[in-house]
Amino acid sequence: MSQRRLNGSDKVNRRRFLKTAAGTTAGAALTAWSLKHAKPAKAAVRSDRARAAEPNPKRGGVLKWAGPAEVAHFDVHQGAFRFILGQMYNNLVRFNPADGLKTIIPDLAESWKTSPDGKTYSFKLRDGVKFHDGTPFSSADVVATFSRIIFPPAGMASIYKDQFAAVAKVEAIDRLNVRFILKEPQPYFLELFTPSSMIIYSKKALDENNQDLRKVIAPGTGAFMFKERKVAEKWVMVRNPTYWDPEIPYVDGLEMLHIPAWTDRGTAVLTGQADYSPNVSLETHAEGLKRKDIVGTVRYPGEFNSYQVFINNERKPFNDPRVRRAINLAVSRQNLIKAFGTQEPIMLTRWMSHASEFASTLKEIETIPGYRADKTADIAEAKKLMADAGVADGIKNVDFVSASVAPHAEILAPAFQDELKRTLGIETKIRVMERALLIEELKKGTFDMMVNTEFRSPIGDPGPGWEMCLKTGGSLNFSRYANAEFDKLLKQINSETNKAKRKQLFAHGMTVLDQTAPLYLIGFTDHLPMWRNTVKGHNSEARGFSELGRVDTFWLDR
Amino acid sequence: MRKYLVQRLLIAIPTIVGVTVLIFVAMRVLPGDPLSAISGEGGGTYVLSQEQLQAARKSLGLDRPYVVQYLDWVGDILRGDLGKSFWRGEPIREVIARRAPITGQIALMAVILSWIIGLPVGLIGALWRNSWTDYAFRLVVTLFMAIPSFWVGLMIVLSLVLTLTWRPPLTIAYLWDDPVRNLQMTAGPALALGVALAAMMARITRSSVLEVLGEDYVRTARAKGLRERIVVWRHALVNAMLPILTVTGTALGALLGGSVAVERAFGVPGLGLALVFAVAERDWMLIQNLVLLYGVIFIFVNLVVDVSYGWFDPRIRYQ
Repeated sequence: MSQRRLNGSDKVNRRRFLKTAAGTTAGAALTAWSLKHAKPAKAAVRSDRARAAEPNPKRGGVLKWAGPAEVAHFDVHQGAFRFILGQMYNNLVRFNPADGLKTIIPDLAESWKTSPDGKTYSFKLRDGVKFHDGTPFSSADVVATFSRIIFPPAGMASIYKDQFAAVAKVEAIDRLNVRFILKEPQPYFLELFTPSSMIIYSKKALDENNQDLRKVIAPGTGAFMFKERKVAEKWVMVRNPTYWDPEIPYVDGLEMLHIPAWTDRGTAVLTGQADYSPNVSLETHAEGLKRKDIVGTVRYPGEFNSYQVFINNERKPFNDPRVRRAINLAVSRQNLIKAFGTQEPIMLTRWMSHASEFASTLKEIETIPGYRADKTADIAEAKKLMADAGVADGIKNVDFVSASVAPHAEILAPAFQDELKRTLGIETKIRVMERALLIEELKKGTFDMMVNTEFRSPIGDPGPGWEMCLKTGGSLNFSRYANAEFDKLLKQINSETNKAKRKQLFAHGMTVLDQTAPLYLIGFTDHLPMWRNTVKGHNSEARGFSELGRVDTFWLDR
Repeated sequence: MRKYLVQRLLIAIPTIVGVTVLIFVAMRVLPGDPLSAISGEGGGTYVLSQEQLQAARKSLGLDRPYVVQYLDWVGDILRGDLGKSFWRGEPIREVIARRAPITGQIALMAVILSWIIGLPVGLIGALWRNSWTDYAFRLVVTLFMAIPSFWVGLMIVLSLVLTLTWRPPLTIAYLWDDPVRNLQMTAGPALALGVALAAMMARITRSSVLEVLGEDYVRTARAKGLRERIVVWRHALVNAMLPILTVTGTALGALLGGSVAVERAFGVPGLGLALVFAVAERDWMLIQNLVLLYGVIFIFVNLVVDVSYGWFDPRIRYQ
């Protein structure tokens, strides 16, 4: 700078001043005009890639997401919280945000095909993709990722292993082709790759860290790159400038705010501290409905969340299916749902989420014994079953466990207790304990009944959920239900590839479950997302189910 | 004075050791295993097998005998290493460094507020004893002593959201970085904690001043013809300060405990909120160190209060 001053060429004379002033004015005017008439990003045209549903999405800005933005460690396949980390990675395939998560579209797999016998899935991978550290993506990464999940090394807690139990082999055909060979066909196999947990890690990162990524944020191929983490406060990510899909993400950055309480999330969106939250509290959701000028909100099925009462099938007299069936007939789901209505919206559902294409419709459910509102005939039938089981006078001293959280201990458990006593003379003693302790009770089976939230499926298809929660010895079969007939039927359900036949099998399965009543399902819940009106691209209104996942198609209309 | 300080510090050592033993044992005796399951919102619970559980325990050093774990923990503290959070992996020293300024500031602001409100109210009540003003103040004081601080906090947040569509910030802003946001974040919790403390302070001030006003030296001061203002400020109030100071010291410790609920109500990411989640997650290491920190602060504040007695009452000599 001093050199330029010394040579005198930068002296400000009248002519130079006028030139500069004119130039600056013209520049400012041009900037203002171009800002006003800025060309929006190209309209969404390709249906096989993730795009915002709206035409002409705008670019720029930082999206503030409010939710549970904290992780215990960084290895998603060992249980780290996928909704945060997943932003930095890709899957092989994903659900299409533009059609409300109804169809599966390519992600890192450009295309795929299934063999006629349904036992081989071949994926053609996208070329030219790079991890954030510059490492090229190839079939070796897919093989390394899924081999670790399906055939984990000693000491690794591979929490998704059971979902892929049908896989016999994962192999690379060449640099950009990979195939999964199954022991038997699995109709929902492709869907297993859609959750935001099914991210692809690089082989290099896995090898460098001895197959354990709990302590490192491994580079991904995703639309966002890691910038900063303030523990238990927020994650900051920035747009990946060399992302393989140049169209997305639309926003420049992402701040994922750690706001554990649903009410705080709701108030954060209402007051503009956050732009979007995937699930807020009922009262803030209600407030949002009154403030449509600033926020949008909707409710859709929360695929993974349900409330139920586990009944210990190994303890007398609940080892008798007639007693369990009696409970299912007599206790009013409508009353429980109404009682819990101030806390979370539970829907009347039958053995699977109401989001599932295999679910019974509400109209059907409302006519089925045990589910219908009029309990007169159901209670009479239930009393007869109790008498047949030798407990006509009811049951005393039933150990009924509930988490100490207020909605469970002060609403659901007492409501269920009252229903049991009033209708069947079953007298329970509620044993309240901290939520963190329930899992030990569930594992040991030291309870007669327990209010809980663990009946679910890892994907929209209820098949794997039934495997985990209802199959004899299933990892989440906390009721200890054992029914050889049902197990056989389940095997048939989960290998039948014809959708119509499968629907029939599921319907039969639900009838078996109604009759043998492994547990008492109160119902699956709805989720309540809320967003500022400036947030677009999430397509929440069209969503068939709740997915807290990736936000690469979100854009800000500011 | 120095000898007294050394004596007090020496007495504090077994107290702190007792605190460490108590926390350590409590965390092991209380049911609940932080490792029995991996949970995540929307992802449900994944139950670990015995083998996976053992591997996880080993990786955290929880498979060693309790005595070894305790001695290791105490040894680490003495070396200034507070260890790492089980779940977050974050060094606990960093958790404290990041969150303590917010919690400390809230506690301090609450104390200042309680003095600003409580002292005049108590003093007025004492000076105009059994007047309508005194009755009105006593009513308000009783009311605020009865209302829990977290409820006041919830009401503040709710009314702000519903009337002004505004709520205090949910992410950390330090006073030295962003004073406006910092005050937006801390004013509410300080107010919620401060009004309850102010009520207690007013009550103590009133009774303490009333007691002093009946003392001989006050009568002497009045007999000397001193103006009432001087009698009250220089003779009555200063001598009434001892119980007020004691209450302030105790309250500061209680405020740290109270901050747990109030921080939760406001969603303020301070130490209290960290403790709430640590308990829910059974993050033993974090709980141990935070409770120990609270204990040490409590002991230290009480020491400071004891030492300050001498400043207010020269008759007190330390031996």
